[in-house]
Amino acid sequence: MTSMSDRTLVDFVKVLRTAELKVSPAETLDAMQAMDVVGYEDREFLKNTLSIVLAKNPEEKEAFDTCFENYFSFDKFQETETENITENTNEFDEDGEFDPDGSPQGGGKSSGKGMGQGGGGREDDDGDELESTSSLGKLLLSDDNTELMIAMAEAGRKVQVNQIVVFTQKGLYTRKIMDAMGLAELQQEIADLQSTGEAQRLNLAGKLTRASDRLRDKVRDYVEKQFFLHADESGKQLREELLKKVKLSNLEKRNFKDVQEIVYKMAKKLIAIHSRRRKQFRRGHLDIRKTLRHNMQYDGMFFDLKWKSSKVDRPKVMCICDVSGSVSNYSRFLLMFLYSLAEVLPKVRSFAFSSDLGEITRLFEQSTLEDAMAKTMRDYGNGSTDYGQMFQDFKNHCMDDVNNKTTIIILGDARNNFGEARDEILREMYDKAKRVIWLNPEPKMSWTVGDAEMKKYAPCCHQAEVCNSLVHLERVVSNLLRAAT
Amino acid sequence: MAIKNEDRLANVDVIEENFESLHYICNAQIATAVFLAYHLEKPILIEGPPGVGKTELAKTTAEMLDLPCIRLQCYEGLDESKAIYEWKYGKQLLYTQVLKETLGEILEGAKGLSESVQKLHDFGDIFFSEQFLEPRPLLKALKAEESCVLLIDEVDKSDQEFESLLLEMLSDYQLSIPEIGTIKANPDKKPLVFLTSNNTREISDALKRRCLHLYIPFPDANLESKIVHARVPDVPERLRSQLVSFIQELRSMDLKKVPAISETIDWARTLILLHTESLDADLVRQTLNVILKFQEDVEAVESELQSVTNKALKEG
Repeated sequence: MTSMSDRTLVDFVKVLRTAELKVSPAETLDAMQAMDVVGYEDREFLKNTLSIVLAKNPEEKEAFDTCFENYFSFDKFQETETENITENTNEFDEDGEFDPDGSPQGGGKSSGKGMGQGGGGREDDDGDELESTSSLGKLLLSDDNTELMIAMAEAGRKVQVNQIVVFTQKGLYTRKIMDAMGLAELQQEIADLQSTGEAQRLNLAGKLTRASDRLRDKVRDYVEKQFFLHADESGKQLREELLKKVKLSNLEKRNFKDVQEIVYKMAKKLIAIHSRRRKQFRRGHLDIRKTLRHNMQYDGMFFDLKWKSSKVDRPKVMCICDVSGSVSNYSRFLLMFLYSLAEVLPKVRSFAFSSDLGEITRLFEQSTLEDAMAKTMRDYGNGSTDYGQMFQDFKNHCMDDVNNKTTIIILGDARNNFGEARDEILREMYDKAKRVIWLNPEPKMSWTVGDAEMKKYAPCCHQAEVCNSLVHLERVVSNLLRAAT
Repeated sequence: MAIKNEDRLANVDVIEENFESLHYICNAQIATAVFLAYHLEKPILIEGPPGVGKTELAKTTAEMLDLPCIRLQCYEGLDESKAIYEWKYGKQLLYTQVLKETLGEILEGAKGLSESVQKLHDFGDIFFSEQFLEPRPLLKALKAEESCVLLIDEVDKSDQEFESLLLEMLSDYQLSIPEIGTIKANPDKKPLVFLTSNNTREISDALKRRCLHLYIPFPDANLESKIVHARVPDVPERLRSQLVSFIQELRSMDLKKVPAISETIDWARTLILLHTESLDADLVRQTLNVILKFQEDVEAVESELQSVTNKALKEG
């Protein structure tokens, strides 16, 4: 009994993990311990318990609820039934029916119903003395629905249905499971029966055919459910990996939501890596303990004072984004990134330009990304790009705010329409700021072609990089944070 | 574990009833969490919007079990000397003075430096010993004779370093003091630990892993009505359902800070003071500042006040 419930629990934890809950082995152990205390009689109680032990934030709780309802679709802990039956039957009850109070009778009821469905075709077989010879045929015609389900789940395990990744594999796995259950033998038998032409045999053949059709439906549902439990999320992960590498300008509108999620996740990761680090500082409160300890060697005279105060060093970032058509998509994601990092990067100031520079910091703080981006485009987009004017504006308005803690990120293709480059202002920024980073969405080859001015600008930057996918962006932002701490 | 009044934690229903008798109305999840915390000997991390009764839960549990509640309020810069222990520096300094004066006696008869040092070692050192230790909340909770409820309030306000300090305490109910050694809780009288967080920042996975996690959302109308009844029993039933449905309506609006349970209770008290029988738009307008704490929220609600009130009256 214990090993059964443990295995069920481990399976359930696996399902939770595919749903992106971070469940550690330690927590799985906790859950087992909790289940020993709680028991399996009360479904709601069990759900609350597992939710408290395994899901650790509101989003996870929500995902947990869905998983729980799907996985324990009816009470699987029936003490009267054997290990395998309990473990497998519930996965079959694909109509998701369950008794809300989870009483043992509830389980009995639904498995009884399943039996009725499974054997539905047999009502008319009165006085039939012919027996099916193939094992699957016997199983199909027998009353034992649970037996059939065990066979199916075993076949499923044999063909590793839990490895299913994309939905196009559903048909494949359905066939594999049917094969593993002995479909070939059954079909052979049906063919044999039909070839004899005897009424009774034909009758049996028809019955077997109907039964195997029903079985196919069952198996398909089973695979569908397995797909839902095991693959839905890994398919999503696959998609996310792809999206990360795709060129940002090629992203379509419908992907934006996904990308936003990815950016948020990446940002979370960066926040975790670059958590705050404190520096000792010669200011603030006296640290009595340290001072006393340290001055013991000087005969208890307070000679070398230690201070308690510490200092959090956070980077100040100024971000200047070209929002002319070709580059706006990149700016959008860079800004998305920077604002997702608010926890570690509280001081981001952003500016947008195509010719005249404007500050959009407040806009991004106050409205959603879509709105902010749309307003920015309306106000600043669609002009012809003029980097010279932009630098002039920056010098007039913001140069005083730049100091040796500031990191300036410029995102643009440096295509200046053959206007004045004004790279001397960039040089001035370079001298004043801690770092100047230029992100260019174009490949390095075309940096000097046509009206591109990268050749003049690049020497005035600490770093000039190609940046056209989320992976690039992540790298740049990560470097930015590393340099800051 | 065996603490006094253990029977009050016998099962979830008993816990719910006991809480109710102390005017704390809770749902099954909350009771389950307390039940598990005791039986699994694990701390509970409680998250949820402000004012839903996170801190209250810990206090009520302490009251229910008739145990002392030791509270540690977290803030930025909180460190071990405030949370775990501190040396009594003044006494330590005095001790060294005393020691200096008696040094002659101790070293009497010693020949040569090495013998003196030997004698000094034999004398025994109490400079760093429990006598000079000033226990702070965490240590106090560990050493509590009759167990206790330890409330670590707003743990998200503290620094990340402090979270790491807590880990030893939360997973093993012990604390290490380098100069003395490890201090363990009595295995039968481990404290019941509650941590609360307002989610101003993400709590680290390491800490979360060691805790049970309870999320308390805003209550539904039914539960909230019960809570108001338990806390402010004087409110007539009609008014109670009106004000609860009004608050529920407000929570669905886009506000900077939606009213929490504590505000509902305050409002109920206010309405009682004003001898209110039934809600009306004017009255709501005058008392809106009890439930809304930002001027822009007040303005946003005022413009729709009539319709919201009518809706609440209809539903109530």
